[in-house]
Amino acid sequence: MFCSIKNSAQRRFVRTCWMSGGLVAVLAVVAALAFRLWHLKGALAYPVAVLPALPILWVLIETGRYLAVEKDEFQRNLLVQCLLGGIGGTLAVTTVWGYMEDFAHAPRLDLIWVYPIFWLFVGFAWPVVYRRYK
Amino acid sequence: MKNRLKVLRAERDWSQADLAVRLEVSRQSVNAIETGKFDPSLPLAFKLARLFGLRIEEIFSDEESGGSTS
Repeated sequence: MFCSIKNSAQRRFVRTCWMSGGLVAVLAVVAALAFRLWHLKGALAYPVAVLPALPILWVLIETGRYLAVEKDEFQRNLLVQCLLGGIGGTLAVTTVWGYMEDFAHAPRLDLIWVYPIFWLFVGFAWPVVYRRYK
Repeated sequence: MKNRLKVLRAERDWSQADLAVRLEVSRQSVNAIETGKFDPSLPLAFKLARLFGLRIEEIFSDEESGGSTS
């Protein structure tokens, strides 16, 4: 995300994002296999289904932590603007899609896509925000 | 907000990177402040003032006040 890593807080944040991405993939495979092999149901199904979401929650917590520990207020400001871009984009897409589902019978958008859509818009926002301060 | 950072830096023969190290911020931050694209918080403005041995208003000026700082 950052064009060049400038301090330990950024290093930790970027490392967390990469590790989380890998963990989501691994845990999604584990959960899928568990459901396929053991046909999980009831109380056990919920915690296993939640497994791939845990690294995502970890990134959200780490994002908050990064914003709290980053001493460079300008870098904090850049990330906050990008996150706002992500939130705005996600709200726009999901709201528009929701109405399309309701009225035009568009295909159902699973909630599982909200998180990737959010980071996609954060990614779109980054060069726009960055260029403003070039 | 206008500021005299570029002049003050030049007087000391500091690069943006040198000033960034002294302020414990990124060079990008120094550039954004210097070009007036980002207004620093009060704590950072005080840090700058201490670093240059000046008062904040000797470094920064409100554009509406018409003060000449560049």
